[in-house]
Amino acid sequence: MSQQKAKITTTTLVIAIIALIIGALIGYAVASATMVPYSKYAELEKKLKEMGAPAAPAAPEYTFYYVSHGGPADPWWAPVIKGSQDAAKLLNVRVVYSGPEKFSIPALVDLLNSAIAARPNGIILTITNYNALDQPARSAISQGIPIIAVNVPDPRPANQRIPYLSYVGINDYDAGYYLAKYLIDKGYKPKRVVIGIHEVGHIGLETRAKGITDAITQAYPGTPVEKLDITTDPTKAAEAFKSYLTAHPDTDVIFTLGPLGSHPALQVLREMKLTGKVHLLTISIDDTILKAIDAGELDAAASQQQYAQGFLPVVFMYLYVKYGIIPPPQVPTGPIIIDKAKLEIVKKQIATTGGA
Amino acid sequence: MSIGKNVITLGFIARHPEIGVLTSFFSISLIFIVRIPDKFLTIPTLYSILTLAGELGVASIGMAFLMITGEFNLSISSVYALVPMGVVLMVDLWGVDMLAASIIMLLVAYGIGVTVGYITIKTGIPSFISSLGMMMFLRGILLAVTGGFSLRLEKDHWLADVLNGPIGDLGLRTSAVWLLVLTAIFAFILDWTPYGNWTYAVGASSNTARELGVSVSKVKLTNFGVSSLLAGLAGLMALSRFRVVDPTLGQGLELETITSAVLGGCLLTGGYGSISGTFLGAFLIAMTRVGLVLAQAPAYWYSAFIGIILIIATVINLFIVKKYVTSG
Repeated sequence: MSQQKAKITTTTLVIAIIALIIGALIGYAVASATMVPYSKYAELEKKLKEMGAPAAPAAPEYTFYYVSHGGPADPWWAPVIKGSQDAAKLLNVRVVYSGPEKFSIPALVDLLNSAIAARPNGIILTITNYNALDQPARSAISQGIPIIAVNVPDPRPANQRIPYLSYVGINDYDAGYYLAKYLIDKGYKPKRVVIGIHEVGHIGLETRAKGITDAITQAYPGTPVEKLDITTDPTKAAEAFKSYLTAHPDTDVIFTLGPLGSHPALQVLREMKLTGKVHLLTISIDDTILKAIDAGELDAAASQQQYAQGFLPVVFMYLYVKYGIIPPPQVPTGPIIIDKAKLEIVKKQIATTGGA
Repeated sequence: MSIGKNVITLGFIARHPEIGVLTSFFSISLIFIVRIPDKFLTIPTLYSILTLAGELGVASIGMAFLMITGEFNLSISSVYALVPMGVVLMVDLWGVDMLAASIIMLLVAYGIGVTVGYITIKTGIPSFISSLGMMMFLRGILLAVTGGFSLRLEKDHWLADVLNGPIGDLGLRTSAVWLLVLTAIFAFILDWTPYGNWTYAVGASSNTARELGVSVSKVKLTNFGVSSLLAGLAGLMALSRFRVVDPTLGQGLELETITSAVLGGCLLTGGYGSISGTFLGAFLIAMTRVGLVLAQAPAYWYSAFIGIILIIATVINLFIVKKYVTSG
């Protein structure tokens, strides 16, 4: 027994320790190098920190709370935070942004409750889960704190939903609908359309897919539009697309609903030498997608311009609180469809706001 | 009565845990062959299945080896993403050669596996828990470091073509070759070397194995390390093809590798199983996925299909084990 244990300590364990030390070193180096080439947000985060410093000359006129399910660590939300702070600066109001470190509905409810307890002049809120947020949101409104919904609306009919002033953001249905509409408006008549869905049953993705399906079947009834379960695994996604294209060689349009679908779809089209022959459209962008649009491998991508989702609700809340101007019930920030023609202006948006 | 013949048959079945998976394999193939003979029985389809089975199969071999030892390693799904992520960071950030970066990260993977094993053996907690904890820990690190965004491997390297490059124009990839070669190597180790014997012995009864002079801890630690190493290699294969690593890469792989191993005849309790069976298990999973798409079946049925196959194959396996292995 003891001899055996001694053996472990001397051989396998030494290897393990060495390997772990290397791992720790890498981890440390990565963390200390702060991943500059990857995070286009590093600059932005620095700026955000500077912005946090008290620079406002006069005391802020109003205080608004921005309560969202997107934590400060999630880069997608960095432009939103920046937008809200920029608007606050311009209007001389204070906007307190709070979001849970990790996606959590209970944490979101807690944050909303503490925001209400702070008795701000207005609350800007993502209705990420209307069941959980219904009661605290209604109590805020009954206490005279107006609410503007952002990013995720309350999907229930108007007489049942939380009586917020306005919703600023896009909805998933529109994102799909206008993306498909883009193709149709260009005069293209698809023969067969496949929608790669990477999380089957995810309500947001299914809604996007429904938007796409509706846009195409309304324009050209009878066009086959099929959903394909591609999973979040790139190899499975690639082979699923490949098998689908083999089973249906007449497929000429592929839609994907996020980077997890568009990356493997791009790769498959390259491997099968179908780039340009099969149209590829996707929702939400990253560097790979922008490059592919530039190279003509991808037709277009839908985006929701998140900076506007930070900026606009602050402006609307200010106008409402100060002048009694009621915002329209819905203010879309997208979807905008990014194709090669819009690439330059979108690059500007990314450079100035940190995302699109 | 021909007792001799009977013994041979029983022995044959007992020594071949692949019977269950072969039964499922032939029944499913038959369905596809009848339904879509023109599309299913083609070389590109075979290559597509092999490609799909590639990464899953390589990771499953490691899992099967460990399961035969009587342990689990759920953390492989995170290692599957961690290794390529580390390689991309090293290559793009520091300009490290991809080969060197890969070797370093594979060592790290091995180290992680051994660590999970060490925690398991030292503390006596089930490996299901220790590796579950490690899985969540590593996934959390991945998400935190990347902020949830994917990383891209910018530079080309010959290693990428070796790990998962195209061979010819029909869709064959080197990942399929890796799978076949690794299956052969590990099947050989398991069934033809003393180390394979120890692995079986440790899984069947670690006390007996210890009394017979087998270093139980060492075998377990090594197999933990190997399971992690192979998952890392599979992750590198995925990276080599797509040049992109998502921090969510590999989520669910831990259960899928267990599915292939169990389909292939591995017992959850250890001591019994087969590498070639596991290969067939992974192949069967891939074949079902490709076949259903080719058959133009609504792809949403895939999961339901695999569930039924898993239960049937396991029932067959259990029947074989009960009937011929434990009593014999």
